[in-house]
Amino acid sequence: MLNRRTLIAATGAAALAGPAVRPAWAQNFPRKAIQMIVAFPAGGSTDIGARIVAAAAEKEFGQPVVVVNKAGAGGQLGFTEAARARPDGYTLAFLNLPGLNTIILDPERKAVFGIDSFVPVINQVLDPGLVWVKADSPYKTFADLIEAAKKNPGKISACTTGILSDDHLAILMTHEASKVDFRIVHFDGGAQQITGVLGGHVDVAFDNVGGAFKRVRSGELRGLAVLDNERSKFLPDVPTSKELGYPTIISSSTRGIGVQKGTPPDVIKALEAGLLKAMQNPDHIHKLEEAGLGFKPMVGAEYAKYYADLHAQAAKYTEWALKMR
Amino acid sequence: MDAFQHLMAGLGAAMSPGNLMFAFAGCMLGTLIGLLPGLGPAAGTAILIPLTFSLDATGAIIMLCAIYYGAMYGGTITSVLINVPGEAASVITCIDGYAMARQGRAGSALAIAAIGSFVGGTLATLALVVVAIPLATLALKFGPAEFFGLMVAGLCLVIGLAGKNLLAALLMTVLGLLLAMVGLDPVRGAPRFTFGMPELYDGIGFIPVVMGLFGIGELLIAAERRETRMIEADLKKWNPTKQEWRASAGAIGRGSVVGFVLGLIPGVGSIVPTFMAYVLEKRVSKTPERFGNGAIEGVASAETANNAYANAAMVPLLALGVPSSPTIAVLMGAFIVNGITPGPFLFTERPELVWTVIASFFVGNAILLILNLPLVGLWAKLLKIPFSYMCTGVLIFCVIGAYGLKQSMFDVWIMLGFGMLGYLLRKLDLPLAPAILALILGPMMERSLRTTLEISAGSFAIFLDRPLALALLTIPVIVLGFMLLKPRAFAPVRQADAE
Repeated sequence: MLNRRTLIAATGAAALAGPAVRPAWAQNFPRKAIQMIVAFPAGGSTDIGARIVAAAAEKEFGQPVVVVNKAGAGGQLGFTEAARARPDGYTLAFLNLPGLNTIILDPERKAVFGIDSFVPVINQVLDPGLVWVKADSPYKTFADLIEAAKKNPGKISACTTGILSDDHLAILMTHEASKVDFRIVHFDGGAQQITGVLGGHVDVAFDNVGGAFKRVRSGELRGLAVLDNERSKFLPDVPTSKELGYPTIISSSTRGIGVQKGTPPDVIKALEAGLLKAMQNPDHIHKLEEAGLGFKPMVGAEYAKYYADLHAQAAKYTEWALKMR
Repeated sequence: MDAFQHLMAGLGAAMSPGNLMFAFAGCMLGTLIGLLPGLGPAAGTAILIPLTFSLDATGAIIMLCAIYYGAMYGGTITSVLINVPGEAASVITCIDGYAMARQGRAGSALAIAAIGSFVGGTLATLALVVVAIPLATLALKFGPAEFFGLMVAGLCLVIGLAGKNLLAALLMTVLGLLLAMVGLDPVRGAPRFTFGMPELYDGIGFIPVVMGLFGIGELLIAAERRETRMIEADLKKWNPTKQEWRASAGAIGRGSVVGFVLGLIPGVGSIVPTFMAYVLEKRVSKTPERFGNGAIEGVASAETANNAYANAAMVPLLALGVPSSPTIAVLMGAFIVNGITPGPFLFTERPELVWTVIASFFVGNAILLILNLPLVGLWAKLLKIPFSYMCTGVLIFCVIGAYGLKQSMFDVWIMLGFGMLGYLLRKLDLPLAPAILALILGPMMERSLRTTLEISAGSFAIFLDRPLALALLTIPVIVLGFMLLKPRAFAPVRQADAE
């Protein structure tokens, strides 16, 4: 109900104040409500981020920005629908990387979209990988873990949040960088990781900061490494993989907004400007951080490069993962 | 402060006019949702999450929890009155509840369900207060191997339960397991039996299948009979008789225990407790042949276990942050949307919130009882609606419910297709319950087995190392084997089984 009310209020306010304050690019776009397709269920962390930016973007565009959850098949259903939508800027795709990439790269998934089906517009969230163990684990540091894994090849179990997830790729990066071999266990989501590791059924979890940082802070879990170049705001005491001497183990889950190939460039420009402004709103940043989502805005060439580089990196490890199965 | 003092403070806060109103509104909405076939607690809670955005966190959580257990109760009503489970956990209630309704005892069935739900819910919440923190640690000992054992035990139980004919029950279990294979392989991630349709990657949706097999199937059978009304009910006789009270008291006690204990184990889901309580009741009964033909203990046990489970399932959510069923997962999403992360920190960081919410479970259970006892007659009046209207209404709700799950027409077609199948299976006199349980347990079973084997690097010896898993695996298999080898010893029990 609140959604509708604020939505009406927002459109009303924009109609009153609109033409006088809105810059030139905004005069032709948008003229109606914008849909944002989120390929994951309502209430999940992707959805939370999407709803926070949608609320902020409504104020910028003066039009409703409606989050449409199209969950299923690890995002494939939502990405398919987003890729098939008309390229007019009114149907935005919420892009989860590297989830999108691995679906495209696994031939068995028979995705009808490719990496070129979307034009990346703006990134919102970067949630770095986090390697954690339970608080009373014998592995006090990442080095302990690697050393133990070297001594017992294939014996130490490491769990993911799902096959071909960013966590799965991160384990493969660790295999490659430190010449170890974990016993990979695929769970279905973060909750199972917590029960699996806390219950002593699995030794170590490859996860993301957003899902686990509160438990690390409370001392229930021990963070061994954040798989990023710089320390996480949420876990300033946990060293990064780069500091620990593994600059190639850089893994994260990022979420951004894209449009379909063929969307007019001026519409993309308008979207980029409006969304960037919405995201720089302190309220947007504050709400994201409250939800444990690291804000990482990237636009234009920077985001395009990130999008392409990530696909190449994902291609390498996906191929590797597919060979192993 | 100890748990009891916290609870008293929480009760004070939960009784404030605002929170009382949220609990009341949640119970009303929940009952309505449960009443609508197809709109189960999971879908209903998800749909209503936006309603709570304008409330403060405590009020929002109180209301969403009330919607959840209200829906768990509301599902009873359609099960009894029209043999359509409003939500999956009411499947069992259909067996004896509908039989009672056909005998004109719908009022008694609904009244005893309301009382059983109240007792089960209240006892489970009391137990939650006592054991939340210590037991949550214990529940962690359940690894994938134990889960697998538990699922096997569940399936063996349902096969034992559902057969006039063991072979038919086994056949339907295999059908359910085969349907459960559709979708992405949990280890390889490769699509299986999906015919290239991404809609099938997550498997065949459980709720559309249940709505189809039970809801649409029953409507078709009923339409064929050309009945003007689905069942006759004597509205004046909704007070349970002394005999019915006596029969139900033990069932309510046992159902509370079964529901609570199973609610603590993450991943059990809401159906298993009702099945187990029902089977237990039948096993302890001196007259098991009455089960399936309107035994009030059958309704009492399943409904009590259902609500005891619903409240107990909050233990792993609140203490561990682990959702134990799809509905609890939706509820967890609602917690997070409202800025609250369920988990051990909740008890230390937000004690006033968590204890107010727990206290509101007592309040909500009392509200549900008050709402439902006097209203039993009103619900029973639903039968007065001509069948053609009722049928159309149910069909519309089923279609809306199936569509509303994922805003997808695909689920609607699945539901209609399984409606035809349900009709056919009924015509062939094959039991549906084993297929349904196998369908929901199948993916969990496969995942837990394969995860176990990932942990053990492919060695089945892991089951020998884990005594609990071994016990869970072997005992039901021995029992089932005994039933197969000595069918006569079990004949009176099974003969009485209605599907």
